[in-house]
Amino acid sequence: MIDAHDLRKAFAKPGASKKSEPVLAVSNVTFKAADGQVTGLLGPNGAGKSTTLRMLATLIKSDAGSASIDGFDIRDDVLSVRKQLGFMPHNAGIYPRLTASENISYYARLCGMSRRDSAKRVDELIEQLGMQSYANRRSAGFSQGQRTKVALARALAHRPQTLMLDEPTNGLDVMGTRGLREIIRDLAKAGHCVLFSSHIMQEVSALCDHIAIISDGKIAIADSLDGIKSRTGEDDLEDAFVRAIGETP
Amino acid sequence: MRFLVVMFKEIQDNLRDKQTVFYALLFGPILMPLILGGSIIGSLKQLSINFDQVTTLSVVNSESAPNLMEFLYSNNIDITEADDDPEKAVRRGDAPIVLKVMPSFNEALRDGQPAPLTVFVNDGDKNSSKQARKVVALLQAYERTINALRLQHRGIDPNVFNSLDITRQDVSLDGAGGQLIASLLPFLLIISMVMGGFYLAIDTTAGERERQSLEPLLSLPLNRSELVLGKFGATLCFVALSSILTSVSVFFLFKFFPTDVLGGGLNFDGRTITKAFLVASPLIAFISAVLITVSAFTRSSKEAQTYLGVLMVIPMAPFFILQFVTIRSEAQSMFIPMMSQYQLLERIVLGDVVPSLYILLSVAGTLLCAALLLLVAIKLYSRDRILM
Repeated sequence: MIDAHDLRKAFAKPGASKKSEPVLAVSNVTFKAADGQVTGLLGPNGAGKSTTLRMLATLIKSDAGSASIDGFDIRDDVLSVRKQLGFMPHNAGIYPRLTASENISYYARLCGMSRRDSAKRVDELIEQLGMQSYANRRSAGFSQGQRTKVALARALAHRPQTLMLDEPTNGLDVMGTRGLREIIRDLAKAGHCVLFSSHIMQEVSALCDHIAIISDGKIAIADSLDGIKSRTGEDDLEDAFVRAIGETP
Repeated sequence: MRFLVVMFKEIQDNLRDKQTVFYALLFGPILMPLILGGSIIGSLKQLSINFDQVTTLSVVNSESAPNLMEFLYSNNIDITEADDDPEKAVRRGDAPIVLKVMPSFNEALRDGQPAPLTVFVNDGDKNSSKQARKVVALLQAYERTINALRLQHRGIDPNVFNSLDITRQDVSLDGAGGQLIASLLPFLLIISMVMGGFYLAIDTTAGERERQSLEPLLSLPLNRSELVLGKFGATLCFVALSSILTSVSVFFLFKFFPTDVLGGGLNFDGRTITKAFLVASPLIAFISAVLITVSAFTRSSKEAQTYLGVLMVIPMAPFFILQFVTIRSEAQSMFIPMMSQYQLLERIVLGDVVPSLYILLSVAGTLLCAALLLLVAIKLYSRDRILM
């Protein structure tokens, strides 16, 4: 479960002097993501999705506000938060000279599993995500879909309760996207909390039980799909989105 | 102990990278000693003349000077009869040099006049001029004998013509080329250390940022210091391996190139090289730490290569500085990494006594600097900016 309250982060402009005004990337980000549900963080490019996820993943420190993952505070209890959390950034970032299973087992071992446990866990994940045909090939020549699956398996290696995926369907073809959706649904069904960021309406409406719309670093609205439609008075998520971020459709 | 997981992964990962393996296992340990050591030793060998070696000399008209031929033969020179056109023969390279005994040689000698000899030499050819120097030196020795005989014949003490008695005494243990050769060992060791860890350090830090694999890695439940230590450990292994291999190859290099032509004091036997390696070994930690820290600053492999490429000059600097300036080893300079190892290793190879205090200071100074650099690297990895 994720509970974010008033998160805020500003960055110094790259190349600018220290005195110049920092750019506010995220302010007033407040939303909840429940266990057993898929929550979508929907927003245009540059709205602050990745910054929000990075703060929640304890990769960068928030300037103000608070958040907790499964009850652990992201500022005070960093290691506990990381144990609860599987994070997949928006580019797979896997090691090209390692095989798919070596990539996964590296993360499992880093999370403290013994050699034997990690081998078992790798087999489980290969089975679960259907990666048998390329599990023992070096990942240098993998397709985007195969890379995404390896990265997802890696994020799941330590059996985290909460999962955060940053634009996971980027670059995937139709079948790849459908396959990934299936996997995400199954994970939520199994009781995981899945937070998933995207700028594609279709995808969010097809997959998410709960949606937080983020724009200009602020959460504009957060509710179920039907809740958003009724609160904005629009029948279509796209129109609802446009209205929620303060424009007229 | 998770840093061991990081370390083994980086080693496994980089052993699959041809570039890293080439530089760690081939370039530093084998190519550099062969190219550098081989060429320096080769050129010294070419400069120095070995009078014990038997060589052949082409002579025109040798029968006119039987005594001279006898003298040359007793000084390890075999005489062969040359063609009529010595100039052409030398220019074509058929013979390195040709000695021509002029027809009037015997007559002049008998009359107490200067007896004419011509040495045909090709000064564009190093081997030819080296041969010529050897033969001329022998001819001058022969001349001194004849001079003495002529003077004695006329009842004059030959010492009348020796008004000065100059003694030149070389007190250095090593001879002229010795210091250069002695500084070769620290140079090769340090270069192989840098090259051994260079690509691995870049790949595991700047490369990780570039591949964007750092972000998920940092979200795992482990301390960033363990990550840095793991990457440091992997670099350390490659640096150590590379420098051990270099020590072995230097040992074999000097086995094949006997050091007696280079001056007496030099010593490259197994014990000396082992001792030199042990004295240099704190540098393994120091250089690994430099590589990891500098590449942690940079955003991409290319940037890291640029910075480290400039830094590469530093380990070479003492080598070149010490060629021009003789710095007397002092306790203060022993605290400076690289500088101290250069001086200590030179002294070990030259067979000088090395005070234990110097070794102690060198080890302490180098390890301290390595530890400080590692702390900086850990600090760098703890900042938000590592992900930007």
